[in-house]
Amino acid sequence: MTLFGLALRNLRRNRFRAILTALGVAVAILTFVLLRTVIWAWNVAAEYAAKDRIATRHKVSFVIQLPKRYIDDVRAIKGVKAATWANWFGAKDPKDPNNFFANMAVDPASFLEVYDEIVLPPQQKRAWLENRRGAIVGDVLARKMGVKIGDRVTLLGTIYAGDWPFEIVGIYSAARKSIDRSQFLFHWEYMNESMPERRRDLIGWIVARIDDPGRGADISAKIDSVFDVRDAQTITMSERSLQLSFMAMFSAMLRALDIVSIIILVIMMMILGNTIAMGVRERTGEYGVLRAVGFLPRHIATFIVGESIALGLVGGVLGIAISYPIVELGIGRFLEENMGSFFPYFRVDPKVAGAALLLSGLLGAAAAILPARGAARLSVIDSLRRVE
Amino acid sequence: MVPLSYNLRSLAVRKTTTLATALGIALVVFVLASVLMLSNGIRGTLERAGSEDVAIVLRKGSDTEMSSGIEDANVGVVASAKEVKRRGDGQPDAVGEVVVVVALDKKGTEGVSNVTVRGVPDDVFAFRPEARIVAGRAARPGGAEVVIGKGVRGNFKGVELGQSFELRKNRPVQVVGVFEANGSSYESEAWGDLNAVRTAFGREEMVSSIRVRLESPAKLDAFAVGVEQNKQLGLEVMREAEYLEKQSEGTAIFIQAMGTVIAVLFSIGAMIGAMITMYAAVAHRRREIGTLRALGFSRASILFSFIVESVLLALGGGLVGAGASLLMTFARFSTMNFTSWSEISFSFDATPGIIGGSLAFAAAMGLLGGLLPAVRAARMPPVQAMRA
Repeated sequence: MTLFGLALRNLRRNRFRAILTALGVAVAILTFVLLRTVIWAWNVAAEYAAKDRIATRHKVSFVIQLPKRYIDDVRAIKGVKAATWANWFGAKDPKDPNNFFANMAVDPASFLEVYDEIVLPPQQKRAWLENRRGAIVGDVLARKMGVKIGDRVTLLGTIYAGDWPFEIVGIYSAARKSIDRSQFLFHWEYMNESMPERRRDLIGWIVARIDDPGRGADISAKIDSVFDVRDAQTITMSERSLQLSFMAMFSAMLRALDIVSIIILVIMMMILGNTIAMGVRERTGEYGVLRAVGFLPRHIATFIVGESIALGLVGGVLGIAISYPIVELGIGRFLEENMGSFFPYFRVDPKVAGAALLLSGLLGAAAAILPARGAARLSVIDSLRRVE
Repeated sequence: MVPLSYNLRSLAVRKTTTLATALGIALVVFVLASVLMLSNGIRGTLERAGSEDVAIVLRKGSDTEMSSGIEDANVGVVASAKEVKRRGDGQPDAVGEVVVVVALDKKGTEGVSNVTVRGVPDDVFAFRPEARIVAGRAARPGGAEVVIGKGVRGNFKGVELGQSFELRKNRPVQVVGVFEANGSSYESEAWGDLNAVRTAFGREEMVSSIRVRLESPAKLDAFAVGVEQNKQLGLEVMREAEYLEKQSEGTAIFIQAMGTVIAVLFSIGAMIGAMITMYAAVAHRRREIGTLRALGFSRASILFSFIVESVLLALGGGLVGAGASLLMTFARFSTMNFTSWSEISFSFDATPGIIGGSLAFAAAMGLLGGLLPAVRAARMPPVQAMRA
């Protein structure tokens, strides 16, 4: 029998304790996976951001709008393939005012050109372009609001006061993980023409597609320099930097999650280490016998560590296995529906699962270091004499 | 009744195991107490800014000051209502303010974050007596000077006494003072001259909100009816405290929900840890238990004794964890508020209820973890147990 085989056999001696320990490890790994998935999902938008898209907004604040004619200046810049604009509308569904979802006034034709990962069937696209009161919604939001094509929806304006009736003409899905599938998008013209003179022809931000992702920084600088001498200055950055800067606002929260995810691993090590230490104490006499028949201290250490790694891995696999249904059917769906702007895609990433498995093995080994060292150092006589 | 010292000495004799288990529980209690303190701090920070006798007036449909807009001319109309308290000089105790956010480089990250800038009239400190300058001096009226709350001080580039940041190109505002406001969310804002701020943001002759001090808190309804009845104004009235509670809702719920999920999972892990330890304790002490029974201790007292031991173990860990969490009251946590889209700096607010509740939680973990092992101990037949 190999040493590792012996280690596995040992696990079955106190089956009840091994099961409890594996469960403890599983819960810890489950927690770890959930926490890391939150952090990962928060990063999704940045990680999967389009590399060839840059966004321009007012330099000082997102609450200051830009003149609409800026869009022509951006389109005139060399390297810009297409550009579109949008306004944050910020309206609520009067039937469910606590349901927060992104609603924006966009220019449909150029918007779909710039965001070509938004998947909209051709006839729905045509219907949207033709219908000025037409709006499209993401499939996640459509399910949540319970709307289908042809429905009439009235939103209650907050920034743009009043009741705004729309007709749902399309439901989109996304070909990229970073796209929020709970947005409500409608014609910018429809909003603009209802505005009083002084609030007309103002846009929230501009998004441009460039032909060479490598020149993003150059083109961004070029755009900002054009507007630097105008009355409204701008700042342009890649979609990725925009997302990163958005995340910076939550940096303390992300750091807290980071720390908590490490704390749970420490707790897991304590549970595991405790179990191993107990086993070692109970078997001290056997180690003496093994040493007496010729096994070396390192053999003793190996099978203590081996037992711990095996236990860690069993718990790890179990924890990861539980995390999948919890995320896919529960938390993930809830977050995508209710916090789509923050978590456009909330799933267990294979990388997170892989890291969790690796850590459960590694920490299993680490947890056994102290007990294993103690057991290996004991002299044969001492261990045979020790009676628990 | 088995004496308590028996349990205490049993715990002391197995110190490694006791320590590992107690530390696991300590970490759980630490995380739980910190989360509770933080969400308490968030509510406290946002709600402390509200007074019962102050009413806030926003444009109808606006959820936040930032999305609201009221014409200057209407400020006088609202403030002249008879329910509004008069100052010594006969003027109504009311302020019209403009609220905007600026994006500033956040120190320690590669991104920018939003800071609320409030354009305030000269008599703002008279209206908010809880606010006072703690460093530097008050801003001169009409000038390009601002005072900053101590919660944002030093967190952003330029937001420090003697430094400056831009509200618009080539129009820097100088930070001349730091104020504190009873730990409220105002401490996360920068206050500048009303006209300077609204000119920079193209909001001439508009304010975001009007706050009035009522003659008594009970006058709110009468005041609200008066303002809301005048359809031409298109305004709505809320008690300030109520408005601020709504502002904190999203963020507090998010942190609380996340904290609860974490605490539940953590506690399952720690409970399993306690269970393993107690099962082992019972298994090792078969002979002792048998002896105790032979001496005449009843099953019930054995059961009780082991439960007490487990609760003591958990409480010991809980005390360490709760003690460590008190250190968090020295830390500040700055994150974005979902409703106002700007950063607010929070403190961890400990209350006796939170600390007591966390300790009770630790005791409950000990109780649940120790219950099954204690039952096993109590059911041991004394003769076999002694023979083991």
